[in-house]
Amino acid sequence: MNELVDQVVQVAERHVARADRDAVFPVEALAELRRTRLLGLLVPAEYGGLGGTLADVVDVGIKLGRTDMSLSMIFVMHCQQVAAVVRHAHEPFRADLLKRIGQGQVYLASVTTEAGKGGHLRSAESALSGDTALAVDRFAPIVTGGAHADGFLITMRSPDADSPNQVSLVYADRDQLEVTASGDWQPMGMRASHSVPMKLVGSVPGEQVIGEHGAFGDIATTIFAPLAHLGWSAAWLGTAAGALSRVLRMIRGKEGRDRFDIKSELLLTRLSTARQRLDGVHALLRRAEHVVATAPDLSQPVNQLLLNALKITAAEQCHAAVNDLVDAVGLRHGYLKDSPTRLELALRDLRSAALNYSNDRLHLADGRLALLDPEVRFV
Amino acid sequence: MDARFTELLGKFLKFADGKPITEDSDLRALGLDSMQSIELLFAIEDTYGVSLPDDEMGDATFATAGSLWRAIATAGAAA
Repeated sequence: MNELVDQVVQVAERHVARADRDAVFPVEALAELRRTRLLGLLVPAEYGGLGGTLADVVDVGIKLGRTDMSLSMIFVMHCQQVAAVVRHAHEPFRADLLKRIGQGQVYLASVTTEAGKGGHLRSAESALSGDTALAVDRFAPIVTGGAHADGFLITMRSPDADSPNQVSLVYADRDQLEVTASGDWQPMGMRASHSVPMKLVGSVPGEQVIGEHGAFGDIATTIFAPLAHLGWSAAWLGTAAGALSRVLRMIRGKEGRDRFDIKSELLLTRLSTARQRLDGVHALLRRAEHVVATAPDLSQPVNQLLLNALKITAAEQCHAAVNDLVDAVGLRHGYLKDSPTRLELALRDLRSAALNYSNDRLHLADGRLALLDPEVRFV
Repeated sequence: MDARFTELLGKFLKFADGKPITEDSDLRALGLDSMQSIELLFAIEDTYGVSLPDDEMGDATFATAGSLWRAIATAGAAA
Protein backbone atom coordinates (compact mmCIF):
# COMPACT_ATOMS: atom_id res chain seq x y z
CA MET A 1 0.00 0.00 0.00
CA ASN A 2 2.89 2.38 0.74
CA GLU A 3 4.03 2.07 -2.87
CA LEU A 4 0.58 2.99 -4.12
CA VAL A 5 0.48 6.06 -1.91
CA ASP A 6 3.97 7.05 -3.06
CA GLN A 7 2.74 7.02 -6.65
CA VAL A 8 -0.10 9.38 -5.75
CA VAL A 9 2.26 11.59 -3.76
CA GLN A 10 4.66 11.93 -6.69
CA VAL A 11 1.87 13.16 -8.92
CA ALA A 12 0.49 15.43 -6.20
CA GLU A 13 3.91 17.01 -5.64
CA ARG A 14 4.03 18.10 -9.25
CA HIS A 15 0.68 19.86 -9.10
CA VAL A 16 0.33 21.12 -5.52
CA ALA A 17 1.58 24.66 -6.17
CA ARG A 18 -0.62 25.19 -9.22
CA ALA A 19 -3.73 23.69 -7.60
CA ASP A 20 -3.25 26.09 -4.68
CA ARG A 21 -2.53 29.10 -6.88
CA ASP A 22 -5.52 28.53 -9.16
CA ALA A 23 -7.85 27.11 -6.45
CA VAL A 24 -8.62 24.09 -8.61
CA PHE A 25 -9.32 20.48 -7.73
CA PRO A 26 -6.27 18.17 -7.89
CA VAL A 27 -7.61 16.21 -10.88
CA GLU A 28 -4.26 14.58 -11.68
CA ALA A 29 -3.92 13.24 -8.12
CA LEU A 30 -7.53 12.03 -8.18
CA ALA A 31 -6.80 10.16 -11.41
CA GLU A 32 -3.87 8.53 -9.63
CA LEU A 33 -6.10 7.61 -6.66
CA ARG A 34 -8.39 5.92 -9.18
CA ARG A 35 -5.56 4.16 -11.05
CA THR A 36 -3.95 2.83 -7.85
CA ARG A 37 -7.43 1.76 -6.61
CA LEU A 38 -6.79 3.68 -3.41
CA LEU A 39 -10.29 5.10 -3.87
CA GLY A 40 -11.36 1.56 -3.01
CA LEU A 41 -9.16 1.34 0.08
CA LEU A 42 -12.12 0.50 2.34
CA VAL A 43 -13.91 -1.71 -0.18
CA PRO A 44 -13.70 -5.37 0.94
CA ALA A 45 -11.46 -7.57 -1.23
CA GLU A 46 -14.42 -9.73 -2.31
CA TYR A 47 -15.71 -6.70 -4.25
CA GLY A 48 -12.33 -6.00 -5.80
CA GLY A 49 -11.25 -3.41 -3.24
CA LEU A 50 -8.05 -3.16 -1.24
CA GLY A 51 -9.81 -4.39 1.91
CA GLY A 52 -8.13 -1.74 4.06
CA THR A 53 -8.85 -0.83 7.67
CA LEU A 54 -9.47 2.37 9.57
CA ALA A 55 -5.76 2.39 10.49
CA ASP A 56 -4.95 2.30 6.77
CA VAL A 57 -7.16 5.34 6.15
CA VAL A 58 -5.33 7.21 8.91
CA ASP A 59 -1.93 6.16 7.52
CA VAL A 60 -2.79 7.25 3.98
CA GLY A 61 -4.38 10.46 5.28
CA ILE A 62 -1.17 11.40 7.10
CA LYS A 63 0.96 10.51 4.11
CA LEU A 64 -1.07 12.50 1.60
CA GLY A 65 -1.28 15.41 4.06
CA ARG A 66 2.50 15.67 4.10
CA THR A 67 2.27 16.84 0.49
CA ASP A 68 -1.19 18.37 0.11
CA MET A 69 -3.74 18.90 2.85
CA SER A 70 -6.57 19.49 0.34
CA LEU A 71 -5.87 16.15 -1.35
CA SER A 72 -5.73 14.36 1.99
CA MET A 73 -9.04 15.88 3.08
CA ILE A 74 -10.61 14.87 -0.24
CA PHE A 75 -9.36 11.32 0.25
CA VAL A 76 -10.38 10.81 3.88
CA MET A 77 -13.83 12.27 3.30
CA HIS A 78 -14.32 9.92 0.35
CA CYS A 79 -13.34 7.01 2.63
CA GLN A 80 -15.89 8.19 5.19
CA GLN A 81 -18.58 7.92 2.50
CA VAL A 82 -17.36 4.49 1.39
CA ALA A 83 -17.49 3.24 5.00
CA ALA A 84 -21.17 4.20 5.17
CA VAL A 85 -21.87 2.29 1.93
CA VAL A 86 -19.96 -0.77 3.15
CA ARG A 87 -21.82 -0.90 6.46
CA HIS A 88 -25.31 0.30 5.56
CA ALA A 89 -26.17 0.10 1.84
CA HIS A 90 -28.72 -2.54 0.83
CA GLU A 91 -28.04 -5.44 -1.53
CA PRO A 92 -27.96 -5.82 -4.49
CA PHE A 93 -27.28 -2.09 -4.92
CA ARG A 94 -24.46 -2.28 -2.35
CA ALA A 95 -22.43 -4.93 -4.19
CA ASP A 96 -22.77 -3.08 -7.50
CA LEU A 97 -21.65 0.26 -6.06
CA LEU A 98 -18.78 -1.28 -4.07
CA LYS A 99 -17.46 -2.99 -7.21
CA ARG A 100 -17.46 0.32 -9.05
CA ILE A 101 -15.71 2.08 -6.15
CA GLY A 102 -13.20 -0.78 -5.92
CA GLN A 103 -12.35 -0.27 -9.59
CA GLY A 104 -11.68 3.40 -8.98
CA GLN A 105 -14.70 4.49 -11.01
CA VAL A 106 -16.56 6.33 -8.27
CA TYR A 107 -15.28 9.28 -6.30
CA LEU A 108 -17.88 10.09 -3.66
CA ALA A 109 -18.72 13.54 -2.38
CA SER A 110 -20.72 14.27 0.74
CA VAL A 111 -23.73 16.54 0.76
CA THR A 112 -24.51 17.15 4.42
CA THR A 113 -24.35 20.94 4.75
CA GLU A 114 -27.50 22.95 4.34
CA ALA A 115 -28.26 26.65 4.51
CA GLY A 116 -29.27 27.58 8.05
CA LYS A 117 -27.90 24.54 9.85
CA GLY A 118 -24.21 24.60 8.87
CA GLY A 119 -22.62 21.21 9.31
CA HIS A 120 -25.11 19.97 11.88
CA LEU A 121 -25.54 16.37 10.81
CA ARG A 122 -28.63 15.30 12.65
CA SER A 123 -31.21 17.55 11.08
CA ALA A 124 -32.33 18.37 7.56
CA GLU A 125 -34.69 20.90 6.00
CA SER A 126 -35.08 19.65 2.41
CA ALA A 127 -37.24 16.54 2.33
CA LEU A 128 -37.18 13.47 0.12
CA SER A 129 -40.49 12.58 -1.42
CA GLY A 130 -41.82 9.42 -2.99
CA ASP A 131 -41.56 5.75 -2.15
CA THR A 132 -40.23 3.48 -4.94
CA ALA A 133 -38.57 6.49 -6.58
CA LEU A 134 -37.21 9.22 -4.35
CA ALA A 135 -37.25 12.79 -5.59
CA VAL A 136 -34.12 14.70 -4.62
CA ASP A 137 -34.11 18.49 -4.63
CA ARG A 138 -31.32 19.81 -2.50
CA PHE A 139 -29.10 22.88 -2.20
CA ALA A 140 -25.85 22.62 -0.25
CA PRO A 141 -23.60 25.61 0.49
CA ILE A 142 -20.40 23.53 0.60
CA VAL A 143 -19.67 20.34 -1.32
CA THR A 144 -15.97 19.45 -1.34
CA GLY A 145 -15.02 18.12 -4.76
CA GLY A 146 -18.64 18.27 -5.87
CA ALA A 147 -17.78 19.39 -9.38
CA HIS A 148 -15.64 16.27 -9.86
CA ALA A 149 -17.60 13.64 -7.93
CA ASP A 150 -19.10 10.63 -9.69
CA GLY A 151 -21.61 10.04 -6.91
CA PHE A 152 -23.06 11.82 -3.92
CA LEU A 153 -24.22 10.75 -0.47
CA ILE A 154 -26.92 13.21 0.43
CA THR A 155 -28.67 13.81 3.72
CA MET A 156 -32.32 14.82 3.44
CA ARG A 157 -35.36 14.82 5.65
CA SER A 158 -37.06 11.41 5.42
CA PRO A 159 -40.23 11.06 3.35
CA ASP A 160 -43.28 11.80 5.54
CA ALA A 161 -41.05 12.87 8.44
CA ASP A 162 -42.71 14.51 11.43
CA SER A 163 -39.63 16.56 12.30
CA PRO A 164 -36.32 17.80 10.81
CA ASN A 165 -34.56 15.26 13.05
CA GLN A 166 -35.73 12.34 10.90
CA VAL A 167 -32.93 12.26 8.38
CA SER A 168 -32.18 9.75 5.64
CA LEU A 169 -28.96 9.23 3.71
CA VAL A 170 -29.38 8.55 0.02
CA TYR A 171 -26.91 7.79 -2.76
CA ALA A 172 -27.17 9.36 -6.19
CA ASP A 173 -25.01 8.83 -9.26
CA ARG A 174 -24.02 12.02 -11.00
CA ASP A 175 -26.04 10.97 -14.06
CA GLN A 176 -29.15 10.54 -11.91
CA LEU A 177 -29.02 14.23 -11.03
CA GLU A 178 -29.04 17.58 -12.62
CA VAL A 179 -26.01 19.11 -10.92
CA THR A 180 -25.47 22.85 -10.84
CA ALA A 181 -22.35 24.19 -9.18
CA SER A 182 -22.63 27.85 -8.42
CA GLY A 183 -20.47 30.55 -6.96
CA ASP A 184 -16.76 31.19 -6.95
CA TRP A 185 -14.24 29.43 -4.71
CA GLN A 186 -11.57 31.80 -3.44
CA PRO A 187 -10.64 30.77 0.10
CA MET A 188 -7.55 31.57 2.18
CA GLY A 189 -6.41 27.95 2.23
CA MET A 190 -7.64 24.46 1.34
CA ARG A 191 -7.85 25.95 -2.11
CA ALA A 192 -7.49 22.64 -3.96
CA SER A 193 -10.45 21.16 -2.09
CA HIS A 194 -12.73 23.11 -4.43
CA SER A 195 -15.67 23.21 -2.02
CA VAL A 196 -18.46 24.89 -3.91
CA PRO A 197 -22.18 25.49 -3.42
CA MET A 198 -24.29 22.99 -5.35
CA LYS A 199 -27.84 22.39 -6.36
CA LEU A 200 -28.82 18.75 -6.91
CA VAL A 201 -32.13 17.81 -8.52
CA GLY A 202 -33.18 14.36 -9.67
CA SER A 203 -34.74 11.06 -8.78
CA VAL A 204 -33.21 7.84 -7.45
CA PRO A 205 -34.63 4.34 -6.82
CA GLY A 206 -35.72 3.65 -3.24
CA GLU A 207 -33.03 0.93 -2.94
CA GLN A 208 -30.38 3.67 -2.94
CA VAL A 209 -31.22 4.72 0.61
CA ILE A 210 -28.21 3.97 2.81
CA GLY A 211 -29.48 2.38 6.01
CA GLU A 212 -33.11 2.83 7.01
CA HIS A 213 -35.18 5.95 6.46
CA GLY A 214 -34.81 8.29 9.42
CA ALA A 215 -31.84 6.38 10.82
CA PHE A 216 -29.05 8.64 9.61
CA GLY A 217 -28.43 9.74 13.21
CA ASP A 218 -26.95 6.32 13.94
CA ILE A 219 -24.73 6.48 10.85
CA ALA A 220 -23.60 9.93 11.96
CA THR A 221 -22.63 8.63 15.41
CA THR A 222 -21.00 5.39 14.32
CA ILE A 223 -19.41 6.36 10.99
CA PHE A 224 -19.62 9.95 9.78
CA ALA A 225 -18.47 11.76 12.93
CA PRO A 226 -15.75 9.30 13.98
CA LEU A 227 -14.30 8.94 10.49
CA ALA A 228 -14.45 12.70 9.95
CA HIS A 229 -12.53 13.39 13.14
CA LEU A 230 -9.99 10.63 12.54
CA GLY A 231 -9.56 11.47 8.86
CA TRP A 232 -9.34 15.23 9.29
CA SER A 233 -6.90 14.87 12.17
CA ALA A 234 -4.75 12.56 10.05
CA ALA A 235 -4.76 15.12 7.21
CA TRP A 236 -3.83 17.95 9.59
CA LEU A 237 -1.14 15.92 11.36
CA GLY A 238 0.32 14.95 7.99
CA THR A 239 0.31 18.57 6.85
CA ALA A 240 2.18 19.74 9.95
CA ALA A 241 4.52 16.72 9.87
CA GLY A 242 5.38 17.44 6.23
CA ALA A 243 6.07 21.07 7.10
CA LEU A 244 8.30 20.13 10.03
CA SER A 245 10.11 17.54 7.93
CA ARG A 246 10.86 20.05 5.17
CA VAL A 247 12.11 22.57 7.75
CA LEU A 248 14.38 19.99 9.41
CA ARG A 249 15.81 18.86 6.07
CA MET A 250 16.48 22.43 5.09
CA ILE A 251 18.21 23.24 8.39
CA ARG A 252 20.31 20.09 8.16
CA GLY A 253 21.29 20.72 4.53
CA LYS A 254 24.57 22.40 3.56
CA GLU A 255 23.00 25.78 2.86
CA GLY A 256 20.82 25.54 5.95
CA ARG A 257 23.76 24.89 8.24
CA ASP A 258 25.31 28.10 6.97
CA ARG A 259 22.13 30.06 7.47
CA PHE A 260 20.87 28.64 10.77
CA ASP A 261 22.75 28.35 14.06
CA ILE A 262 21.78 24.89 15.26
CA LYS A 263 23.22 25.70 18.68
CA SER A 264 20.67 28.48 19.07
CA GLU A 265 18.61 27.59 22.12
CA LEU A 266 15.66 29.49 20.70
CA LEU A 267 15.74 27.50 17.44
CA LEU A 268 16.15 24.20 19.29
CA THR A 269 13.29 25.01 21.63
CA ARG A 270 11.02 25.95 18.74
CA LEU A 271 11.80 22.72 16.89
CA SER A 272 11.18 20.79 20.09
CA THR A 273 7.84 22.48 20.70
CA ALA A 274 6.65 21.77 17.16
CA ARG A 275 7.67 18.14 17.44
CA GLN A 276 6.05 17.83 20.89
CA ARG A 277 2.75 19.17 19.57
CA LEU A 278 2.74 16.61 16.76
CA ASP A 279 3.62 13.68 19.00
CA GLY A 280 0.73 14.65 21.26
CA VAL A 281 -1.70 14.73 18.34
CA HIS A 282 -0.36 11.47 16.97
CA ALA A 283 -0.83 9.66 20.30
CA LEU A 284 -4.38 10.97 20.61
CA LEU A 285 -5.14 10.06 17.00
CA ARG A 286 -3.96 6.46 17.42
CA ARG A 287 -5.84 6.11 20.70
CA ALA A 288 -9.05 7.41 19.13
CA GLU A 289 -8.54 5.12 16.14
CA HIS A 290 -8.33 2.15 18.53
CA VAL A 291 -11.46 3.24 20.39
CA VAL A 292 -13.43 3.64 17.15
CA ALA A 293 -12.33 0.18 16.01
CA THR A 294 -13.17 -1.56 19.29
CA ALA A 295 -15.75 0.38 21.37
CA PRO A 296 -19.14 -1.37 21.48
CA ASP A 297 -21.08 1.92 21.76
CA LEU A 298 -19.55 5.07 20.29
CA SER A 299 -22.51 7.15 21.48
CA GLN A 300 -21.29 6.89 25.09
CA PRO A 301 -20.09 10.29 26.30
CA VAL A 302 -16.58 9.06 27.14
CA ASN A 303 -16.07 7.96 23.52
CA GLN A 304 -17.63 11.10 22.07
CA LEU A 305 -15.46 13.25 24.31
CA LEU A 306 -12.30 11.51 23.15
CA LEU A 307 -13.18 11.91 19.48
CA ASN A 308 -14.10 15.56 19.88
CA ALA A 309 -10.94 16.18 21.91
CA LEU A 310 -8.95 14.66 19.06
CA LYS A 311 -10.53 17.00 16.51
CA ILE A 312 -10.15 20.13 18.64
CA THR A 313 -6.60 19.27 19.71
CA ALA A 314 -5.41 18.31 16.23
CA ALA A 315 -6.85 21.51 14.76
CA GLU A 316 -5.18 23.69 17.39
CA GLN A 317 -1.86 21.91 17.74
CA CYS A 318 -1.11 21.25 14.07
CA HIS A 319 -1.76 24.89 13.23
CA ALA A 320 0.27 26.04 16.23
CA ALA A 321 3.19 23.78 15.29
CA VAL A 322 3.44 25.29 11.81
CA ASN A 323 2.99 28.77 13.23
CA ASP A 324 5.95 28.09 15.56
CA LEU A 325 8.01 26.99 12.58
CA VAL A 326 7.40 30.30 10.81
CA ASP A 327 9.10 32.02 13.76
CA ALA A 328 11.80 29.36 13.84
CA VAL A 329 12.95 29.91 10.26
CA GLY A 330 11.97 33.56 9.79
CA LEU A 331 10.72 35.65 6.90
CA ARG A 332 12.56 34.09 3.98
CA HIS A 333 11.61 30.47 4.64
CA GLY A 334 8.60 30.98 6.88
CA TYR A 335 6.61 33.56 5.01
CA LEU A 336 7.48 33.50 1.33
CA LYS A 337 5.45 31.35 -1.05
CA ASP A 338 8.45 30.03 -2.97
CA SER A 339 10.32 28.58 0.02
CA PRO A 340 10.82 24.81 -0.25
CA THR A 341 9.44 24.55 3.31
CA ARG A 342 5.95 25.46 1.99
CA LEU A 343 5.11 26.77 5.48
CA GLU A 344 3.05 29.55 3.95
CA LEU A 345 0.72 27.04 2.26
CA ALA A 346 0.59 24.70 5.28
CA LEU A 347 -0.31 27.56 7.61
CA ARG A 348 -3.10 28.84 5.34
CA ASP A 349 -4.45 25.32 4.89
CA LEU A 350 -4.33 24.53 8.60
CA ARG A 351 -6.12 27.74 9.53
CA SER A 352 -9.28 26.04 8.27
CA ALA A 353 -8.96 23.17 10.75
CA ALA A 354 -10.56 24.95 13.71
CA LEU A 355 -13.38 26.17 11.44
CA ASN A 356 -14.12 22.89 9.70
CA TYR A 357 -16.97 21.76 11.97
CA SER A 358 -16.05 24.58 14.29
CA ASN A 359 -14.10 24.01 17.48
CA ASP A 360 -16.39 26.53 19.18
CA ARG A 361 -19.39 24.32 18.50
CA LEU A 362 -17.56 21.16 19.54
CA HIS A 363 -16.63 22.77 22.84
CA LEU A 364 -20.33 23.37 23.52
CA ALA A 365 -21.05 19.72 22.77
CA ASP A 366 -18.16 18.64 24.97
CA GLY A 367 -19.36 20.80 27.84
CA ARG A 368 -22.71 19.00 27.69
CA LEU A 369 -21.03 15.60 27.39
CA ALA A 370 -18.78 16.39 30.36
CA LEU A 371 -21.89 16.92 32.47
CA LEU A 372 -23.00 13.40 31.52
CA ASP A 373 -19.77 11.88 32.86
CA PRO A 374 -19.44 13.34 36.37
CA GLU A 375 -17.02 10.60 37.41
CA VAL A 376 -14.62 11.75 34.65
CA ARG A 377 -13.70 8.37 33.21
CA PHE A 378 -11.15 7.86 30.47
CA VAL A 379 -11.06 5.47 27.53
CA MET B 1 -44.50 4.31 31.97
CA ASP B 2 -46.46 6.45 34.39
CA ALA B 3 -48.39 9.62 33.56
CA ARG B 4 -45.88 11.78 35.40
CA PHE B 5 -43.16 10.53 33.02
CA THR B 6 -45.05 11.09 29.77
CA GLU B 7 -46.11 14.53 30.98
CA LEU B 8 -42.50 15.37 31.80
CA LEU B 9 -41.30 14.06 28.43
CA GLY B 10 -43.92 16.06 26.58
CA LYS B 11 -42.29 19.31 27.69
CA PHE B 12 -39.10 18.36 25.84
CA LEU B 13 -40.62 17.02 22.62
CA LYS B 14 -41.44 20.02 20.49
CA PHE B 15 -42.53 17.91 17.51
CA ALA B 16 -44.89 15.65 19.47
CA ASP B 17 -47.79 18.02 18.66
CA GLY B 18 -50.01 16.64 21.41
CA LYS B 19 -49.85 13.08 20.06
CA PRO B 20 -49.82 10.41 22.78
CA ILE B 21 -46.35 9.31 23.88
CA THR B 22 -45.90 5.55 23.76
CA GLU B 23 -43.01 3.23 24.60
CA ASP B 24 -41.97 3.31 20.93
CA SER B 25 -41.95 7.11 20.64
CA ASP B 26 -38.62 8.08 19.04
CA LEU B 27 -37.30 10.84 21.29
CA ARG B 28 -34.82 12.35 18.84
CA ALA B 29 -37.33 12.36 16.00
CA LEU B 30 -39.77 14.13 18.30
CA GLY B 31 -37.27 16.87 18.99
CA LEU B 32 -35.01 15.86 21.88
CA ASP B 33 -31.57 17.37 21.27
CA SER B 34 -28.39 16.96 23.30
CA MET B 35 -28.93 20.04 25.46
CA GLN B 36 -32.49 19.00 26.21
CA SER B 37 -31.29 15.48 27.03
CA ILE B 38 -29.33 16.95 29.91
CA GLU B 39 -32.21 19.07 31.15
CA LEU B 40 -34.51 16.06 30.84
CA LEU B 41 -32.00 13.96 32.77
CA PHE B 42 -31.89 16.50 35.60
CA ALA B 43 -35.71 16.67 35.65
CA ILE B 44 -35.95 12.87 35.83
CA GLU B 45 -33.40 12.67 38.63
CA ASP B 46 -35.26 15.35 40.61
CA THR B 47 -38.70 13.84 39.98
CA TYR B 48 -37.85 10.22 40.72
CA GLY B 49 -35.02 10.73 43.18
CA VAL B 50 -32.78 8.43 41.14
CA SER B 51 -29.38 8.86 39.58
CA LEU B 52 -28.87 7.25 36.18
CA PRO B 53 -25.46 5.58 35.97
CA ASP B 54 -22.81 7.08 33.65
CA ASP B 55 -22.97 3.93 31.53
CA GLU B 56 -26.58 4.73 30.63
CA MET B 57 -25.78 8.01 28.89
CA GLY B 58 -25.51 6.62 25.34
CA ASP B 59 -27.97 6.91 22.44
CA ALA B 60 -29.61 3.60 23.38
CA THR B 61 -30.98 5.02 26.65
CA PHE B 62 -32.36 8.15 25.02
CA ALA B 63 -33.67 6.34 21.91
CA THR B 64 -37.31 5.89 22.85
CA ALA B 65 -39.64 6.75 25.71
CA GLY B 66 -39.61 3.05 26.64
CA SER B 67 -35.82 2.73 26.74
CA LEU B 68 -35.51 5.80 28.94
CA TRP B 69 -38.29 4.57 31.23
CA ARG B 70 -36.53 1.20 31.64
CA ALA B 71 -33.30 2.99 32.61
CA ILE B 72 -35.23 4.95 35.26
CA ALA B 73 -36.91 1.79 36.54
CA THR B 74 -33.56 -0.01 36.75
CA ALA B 75 -31.93 2.90 38.56
CA GLY B 76 -34.91 3.10 40.93
CA ALA B 77 -34.71 -0.61 41.74
CA ALA B 78 -30.99 -0.30 42.42
CA ALA B 79 -31.41 2.73 44.69
